[in-house]
Amino acid sequence: MAVNSKLLSLLFLLATVSSIVSASFSDSDSDSDLTNELVSLRSTSESGVIHLDDHGISKFLISASTPRPYSILVFFDATQLHSKSELRLQELRREFGIVSASFLANNNGSDSTKLFFVEIEFSQSQSSFQRFGVNALPHVRLVSPLISNLRDESGQMDQSDFSRLAESMAEFVEQRTKLTVGPIKRPPLLSKAQIGIIVAMVIVATPFIIKRILKGETLIHDRRLWLSGAIFVYFFSVAGTMHNIIRKMPMFLQDRNDPNKLVFFYQGSGMQLGAEGFAVGFLYTVVGLLLAFVTNVLVKVKNLNAQRLIMLLALFISFWAVKKVVYLDNWKTGYAIHPYWPSNWH
Amino acid sequence: MAALESPPPGTPSAMRHAFGNVLSVLILVLIGVLAFSIRLFSVIKYESVIHEFDPYFNYRVTQFLSKNGIYEFWNWFDDRTVYPGLTLTAGTIWWVVNSLNIPLSVETVCVFTAPVFSAFASWATYLLTKEVKGSGAGLAAAALLAMVPSYISRSVAGSYDNEAVAIFALIFTFYLYIKTLNTGSLFYATLNAIAYFYMVCSWGGYTFIINLIPMHVLLCIVTGRYSPRLYVAYAPLVVLGTLLAALVPVVGFNAVLTSEHFASFLVFIIIHVVALVYYIKGILSPKMFKVAVTLVVSIGLVVCFIAVAVLVALVASSPTGGWSGRSLSLLDPTYASKYIPIIASVSEHQPPTWPSYFMDINVLAFLVPAGIIACFSPLSDASSFVVLYIVMSVYFSGVMVRLMLVLAPAACIMSGIALSQAFDVFTASIKYHLGGSSNSTNDAEDNNSTNNAPKDDASVSKNDKGEETAKERPSKKGKKKEREPVDKPTVRSKIVKKALVLPLEASIVALLLLIMLGSFYVIHCVWAAAEAYSAPSIVLTSQSRDGLHVFDDFRESYAWLSHNTDVDDKVASWWDYGYQTTAMANRTVIVDNNTWNNTHIATVGTAMSSPEKAAWEIFNSLDVKYVLVVFGGLIGYPSDDINKFLWMVRIGGGVFPHIKEADYLRDGQYRIDSEATPTMLNCLMYKLSYYRFVETDGKGFDRVRRTEIGKKNFKLTHFEEVFTSHHWMVRIYKLKPQRNRIRGRAKKLKSVST
Repeated sequence: MAVNSKLLSLLFLLATVSSIVSASFSDSDSDSDLTNELVSLRSTSESGVIHLDDHGISKFLISASTPRPYSILVFFDATQLHSKSELRLQELRREFGIVSASFLANNNGSDSTKLFFVEIEFSQSQSSFQRFGVNALPHVRLVSPLISNLRDESGQMDQSDFSRLAESMAEFVEQRTKLTVGPIKRPPLLSKAQIGIIVAMVIVATPFIIKRILKGETLIHDRRLWLSGAIFVYFFSVAGTMHNIIRKMPMFLQDRNDPNKLVFFYQGSGMQLGAEGFAVGFLYTVVGLLLAFVTNVLVKVKNLNAQRLIMLLALFISFWAVKKVVYLDNWKTGYAIHPYWPSNWH
Repeated sequence: MAALESPPPGTPSAMRHAFGNVLSVLILVLIGVLAFSIRLFSVIKYESVIHEFDPYFNYRVTQFLSKNGIYEFWNWFDDRTVYPGLTLTAGTIWWVVNSLNIPLSVETVCVFTAPVFSAFASWATYLLTKEVKGSGAGLAAAALLAMVPSYISRSVAGSYDNEAVAIFALIFTFYLYIKTLNTGSLFYATLNAIAYFYMVCSWGGYTFIINLIPMHVLLCIVTGRYSPRLYVAYAPLVVLGTLLAALVPVVGFNAVLTSEHFASFLVFIIIHVVALVYYIKGILSPKMFKVAVTLVVSIGLVVCFIAVAVLVALVASSPTGGWSGRSLSLLDPTYASKYIPIIASVSEHQPPTWPSYFMDINVLAFLVPAGIIACFSPLSDASSFVVLYIVMSVYFSGVMVRLMLVLAPAACIMSGIALSQAFDVFTASIKYHLGGSSNSTNDAEDNNSTNNAPKDDASVSKNDKGEETAKERPSKKGKKKEREPVDKPTVRSKIVKKALVLPLEASIVALLLLIMLGSFYVIHCVWAAAEAYSAPSIVLTSQSRDGLHVFDDFRESYAWLSHNTDVDDKVASWWDYGYQTTAMANRTVIVDNNTWNNTHIATVGTAMSSPEKAAWEIFNSLDVKYVLVVFGGLIGYPSDDINKFLWMVRIGGGVFPHIKEADYLRDGQYRIDSEATPTMLNCLMYKLSYYRFVETDGKGFDRVRRTEIGKKNFKLTHFEEVFTSHHWMVRIYKLKPQRNRIRGRAKKLKSVST
């Protein structure tokens, strides 16, 4: 009997264990169901970003019990705000897609089901926006497996994480999820077919172009084209345009003290604004152009009075331009350029 | 003067030519003196000392060379990273001077190498511009180059760096190329290859030449300017130049393997195809030629395509496309800021803003467009080359402020051409109006030296020329007018004949304005040379109410290191101070200014960004005994390590991902006050910089960041302060020995025994 009762208790134990196991299995079943559903949803979109509405959010994020087997990175979009270019919603959405596609391309194994990229659109899922407590865009939120309260803002992407677009977004994801996104794969500017067509066109066109070149009657034989090109490159460079492109400087700023006033000139030599650069670049260029005009074109004019008038005008403009640049330079850099006189002159 | 004006025997024009040549030589000598002497401000204001960081390495190499001779030198120095041109040049100068029994020290020779080569560079500019637009423009350009601030900034006495000789080599190579192009002589072509070799020896900037010249050749070909002279100028340069370049250890097989050089080979193929076409055109009748051209063109195309395919395959097989990071960031300006923090961190690799142009080429920025237009009327092979040169260099200077140095010669040439043309036109107009009918005779310039009327304008023109050639030199003034006729007869007679003149008073006003512009340039250049570019940055001065302060902390600290540490001790600091420490303290450093080993620099950056214990472990594993930090908070020296610190974090984080820039920033702002992040306040750099800082004024007010520091009273556990210089600019710490563990054990033993 003693043996029997022991056996019985063992059986009972086994039964409970198996029931617990099966219960947990069924739980993981529903989890894997959700994951599979997400995977299939993901496969329908090209970049791997899943478009969800209120229903989907409640299904995958709210009703799913924590810890969820996946993290979800949510991009909050609003079509009505696409027209506001300063929010850069469309650009960020595109970059978001690139991060997603790169993540998928670099993670084929089990890691690929641990993170899903999701977007929700304001007009279709207003209640989700409320649930997340989102009232300003652009907004990207990482919902990690343990988060149950969606208003918890710890997973929010900062402004600085948008700054370098896909690269910084990927860094953010890697930091928070401990998954690797891997190198960002941007789609090439031209697809392979397009490149093929262009190459074919070039090959076909080459003999004709060479024939024209040998005859010497193409655009490139036009000296005026080369001249204006050279002057333009000069203007482009002395205006500091490369600085504006690399640093992504705006054309002008809004005055902090008076929002209606615009600031076109920035004091301090390490930085310049777009409009400022072009203005000074123009001043740099115009003096030389006027000088060349006077020495090359004006000398051929017959009328002496016209010559006199135009020349004095040109001289006045040049003088003013140089003076202006000197003044602006002293103002911007704070240098005080001064001559050195012999000491016994004082 | 009287002798000069006496009626010459022989034909007048021949005499005038002779006088002109003598005068040109004299002016060139004066320009050379000007170029040399304007660079001496640093010696006068400070002392005869080597500047900055990199020159100290070059100086050490030169010392070794002069002591041990060329063969030892060749085996000793790190031939993978160092261009030997500069050190060999200075070593040769030293050797020559000493064999003439002039006892100059190596240091003196090194200090004055750059000014001497600036004089050479202005002479080379004269030669180059003379080939393009005549000797008048040449003299103007040479005078402008002698004092262009951009070049001064890299060639003041004491700045013993590669650029000092490389700019001369660059201009001289271009001159020889143009000379070959104008004469078609193989002699100059050979010289050109040798000059190119010297350039390759001196500076990495030689890639600019080996890309610019092929571009010009290609330009000439596509605009229908092919000539045998072009072939002579180009083909020997590629063959000889590449062979010679491969002899330089630091270049070696890169001369045929990297993408920077591929353009030249591609154009080499193209020019042969084109030469073949022209040859066949010459031997065939026009009808036959048409048939042949189809054949040749198609064969040529096939060859070209195969070559291109091979190149593309080669390029694609290397990860960066075969381009070095610096070159890539020129083609794609955003490249460096995205991928290579170590290149982006250097201040001279930043894109310039418009004031940089005004500072570095000053009023030349206004004159260049006129020069470009002057080069187009008429366009020749030579003038198209200088146009291409200015366009490429101005674009590159827009990407990297350092390349302003390459732009400066081009800007001087262009401005010289513009100025010379403007003076020609204005003075000819004045002469026409004042000279009246007497000038209408065909030999207009004959009146120049005898009539009093033209004497007036001569004095005007000599003044303006004087203004821009040199500050002013009374002895030259008189001779100047003798030179005028030499370079102008053709222009003037043309103008007089066609009556292409401007109104008198407007011309005078224009001349006066140009003179003012020239004077402003001179004032600016002298000011820039004296104030902005002469500081050796190893000795600092500041002017305050109670007089001049001299901060000699760097040398004080290096001397301390060399006297108080063991010869084998290793010193860790940020890489900026590596060469100086090696040269002046004679101690081994962990990283120096030769930045090729990114990982090593990242290791030091990581150590500086880590908490004390982790940093100690890193330094200990590197066998470091001392850590040197530069701190400007007490006297307000802005380029100290705290200001460079974010780059240490970035570079460190690039290799060791556990260092994250965000941890050091509060809301994206870099701050060291009480709002700073705990990571920032606990990192080694913060602690070593601000250790005991509060004892100076009781508050710990940092005069660079203009704020009170965040963490004031703390103790160091793994480092001990061994030296702090007079103005606290350099602080040296010693790694504590592994004492803690022993003491812990001793304590335990004690507790056991009681």
